[in-house]
Amino acid sequence: MRLTDASVAIRPRSAWEALDLGVLLARRHAGLLMASWALVTLPIFAVLCLLLWESPGWAVLLFWWLKPAYERLPLYILSHALFGDTPSLKQALRALPGLLNPQLLASLTWRRFSLTRSFDLPTLQLENLSGQARSQRLVVLGQRDAGAATWLTLVGMHLEMALWLGLISLFYLLLPQQIELNWSWQSLIDAAAGDWLWLEHLSNLLYALLLVVWEPVYVACGFTLYLNRRTALEAWDIELVFRQLRQRLTGVAYALLLGCGLLLLQAPSPAWAESASSGPLPMEDPFGPQSERLLKQPLSSQAARQSIEQLLDQPPFEHRETVTRWRFGEEQQTEELDQGTIKNLLKLIEAFFKLGEFWKTLDGVALFFEALLWAAVLGVVGLLLWRYRDWLSTFVGRLGPVQRRTSAPPSQLFGLEVAPDSLPEDVASEVERLWAEQPRAALGLLYRALLSRLLHDYRLPLKSAHTEAEVLQLVQGLEQTELIDFSQALTLHWQNLAYGHRVPPADSLHSLCAGWRRQFDGGAPA
Amino acid sequence: MSEPTPEQPSSAALTPETVAATTATAPPQAAVNPNVQRQRASQLAQALRLELQKALIGQKAVIDDVLTALIAGGHVLVEGVPGLGKTLLVRALARCFGGEFARIQFTPDLMPSDVTGHAVYDLQSEQFKLRKGPVFTNLLLADEINRAPAKTQAALLEVMQERQVTLEGRALAVPLPFMVLATQNPIEQEGTYPLPEAELDRFMLKLRMDYPAQDEELNMVRQVTRSSRADMLDVTPLRTLLQAKDVQALQKIASDLPLDEQVLDYAVRLARATRSWPGLAIGAGPRASIALARGGRARALLRGGDFVLPDDIKGCALAVLRHRVRLAPELDIEGLSVDQVLQQLLDQVPAPRL
Repeated sequence: MRLTDASVAIRPRSAWEALDLGVLLARRHAGLLMASWALVTLPIFAVLCLLLWESPGWAVLLFWWLKPAYERLPLYILSHALFGDTPSLKQALRALPGLLNPQLLASLTWRRFSLTRSFDLPTLQLENLSGQARSQRLVVLGQRDAGAATWLTLVGMHLEMALWLGLISLFYLLLPQQIELNWSWQSLIDAAAGDWLWLEHLSNLLYALLLVVWEPVYVACGFTLYLNRRTALEAWDIELVFRQLRQRLTGVAYALLLGCGLLLLQAPSPAWAESASSGPLPMEDPFGPQSERLLKQPLSSQAARQSIEQLLDQPPFEHRETVTRWRFGEEQQTEELDQGTIKNLLKLIEAFFKLGEFWKTLDGVALFFEALLWAAVLGVVGLLLWRYRDWLSTFVGRLGPVQRRTSAPPSQLFGLEVAPDSLPEDVASEVERLWAEQPRAALGLLYRALLSRLLHDYRLPLKSAHTEAEVLQLVQGLEQTELIDFSQALTLHWQNLAYGHRVPPADSLHSLCAGWRRQFDGGAPA
Repeated sequence: MSEPTPEQPSSAALTPETVAATTATAPPQAAVNPNVQRQRASQLAQALRLELQKALIGQKAVIDDVLTALIAGGHVLVEGVPGLGKTLLVRALARCFGGEFARIQFTPDLMPSDVTGHAVYDLQSEQFKLRKGPVFTNLLLADEINRAPAKTQAALLEVMQERQVTLEGRALAVPLPFMVLATQNPIEQEGTYPLPEAELDRFMLKLRMDYPAQDEELNMVRQVTRSSRADMLDVTPLRTLLQAKDVQALQKIASDLPLDEQVLDYAVRLARATRSWPGLAIGAGPRASIALARGGRARALLRGGDFVLPDDIKGCALAVLRHRVRLAPELDIEGLSVDQVLQQLLDQVPAPRL
């Protein structure tokens, strides 16, 4: 491997840039990579399908499981292509059996679910490491780019899924309308297994086809990640610069060396002045500049240092910040509490107790305010209920179970008093008495009495919204011929009087009163 | 309810001769005795009802409501799924009614001038001549009215309220009585234009046609399959019972029916209740009160009564109110219909007493 031959610019990249480079690399050698992949995997897929024709699920699972084995071929091609030595298709295929040999079992079993598969593969295949050495190497390599490698695998999984579903939908879209009509999804699910096996194999084939496109990219990305990591680890870029430097300077270096040698040949003789040194060298001061000097001067070194330190402590040289924040685990401080603070604390607590006693004297006030607040809350709730009573009666009333309205019948109906107490003892004679001066009041009284009897004796669910005709219909539901006849006659006269302003003839009054007596005063409960 | 004689003649006694006689003699006697005149009028109305029931089987309530609108001088919007005989009803009414009948099939490309008429240039006389549209008639059937866009629907606004059409700046009165019967289909909403509120408000009644009961449907299928025209009931055997002036007389008589203050108050209370009713977002306007009172009078005449009862008001309240109110969104989401909410309202507004 010669770094100078590398077909990519070797420099430290971010992990994502490295992945990008991988995509680029895969694209440059796309034809070769995809062709070799297809030549290897599609026959295997075909064999698997034929062997496991009855269970397409197992076939595709097995095919998927063997992916690490196929991935060695693209890596081989890429590692050679990187240094300009792109193998031909035939060469690559011929190299395949040799590639499969090392650690195939491990790759297909316990390392199958590794999320950094494509990143780890070069360690195995290109560095030929195994066992302890491999794992140590992986730990070193994985210190930085393992995250990106994991993401690469995860994204790859989703991409495979998306492409697969996309291909299936495309296939479905290409179906002619007439065939599509017969293809309800229900029948796809329910159909007898035999009829639809080919369809499952077809979807498996779609998966195999999309792997032809995606897997080279995946391997290439893992490979460039690996390259990037090694570039950073082993300073390949610097090595590369040095190598280039060497190449450039190889010719000049010899001349330079010669020149230097010639220059240094004339060894310098010691200077005369050297021997006549003026005196002993000053003693090395063990404290150096720290020792106190200039003690007899107006400004001693000590004083000068102090003033310098003071100056340095002041704003232009010093910037102090006090940060206060909450934090857990202040045990040390509580330990450090000295007697004084504890006493202060005790005093504070005592003061609190005293305050509490003081508050006790104010209990009455507190109670008053509490009552006031509760009253306010209840008042607001009541106000809301009152404000939205229409809304509540419309919406909430219907939510509850339908209540039977057997409870006390209303005493007021249609704006009339219909309670039995409000009626005179002898309705008929009262009506006859009233008839002479106020026929309307008389007939009204009779009708009111009828309604009251219907409400209380016959338990008819009368409402104020009922018109006379509806009351009559309810009466007909009772199936009492005499009562029906009487009610019809009375209602007719009442309507004539109330809405038609026609006073009924006097003899009809007598028949009505007789009817009333017969109906109610005779046998019915009063 | 009302006296059985002589106001409610049994249908057996109503022979064509008596009807013809009443039709012929009603106007001269009108001045003589209002009571007799009223009886004749209600006999005529009931004969018309019987005749219509022959053509349209199993829609008695709808027939009553259409006659109510005819007598009250209002317009009707009939809503129902296809095949219930909306158009048949109108054709039968036109057949029994001697006046002019015109039909407009509303289509998406119908223009307002196709409805009201327009001025055309006459090459011979070198003048513009007014060409009156189909709206100049007594009975106008606007079939599938919601198929036309709003601008065409709006062509009906003036004629429905003012009973006149303004063409080229001239107001032309349409012949009286004038009645618009519009039909629409509630389920098929694609390519339709919902009627604007202003237009809806001008319809006195909105009727819902429902499927006929089983025995009625049986009867109808029997008759239709016996008919010479393959798949529809024949309206040709129906007799022409009344002329345009008879209808006007009917309307006049109906508007003279006594209406008690209490009953009028009930009608107004019903309309006002819709405005404050919590289940309704938009209540009915004053036109609803007016329509309730007029509808009550017409129903009283149709019933054969001499005065208006609260039942008459209540009977037409649903048809009068259902297109003038809008349901609150909460109830709409709950799946309640306007009719259900209005029924609740009718169940809670007190009826008049004393």
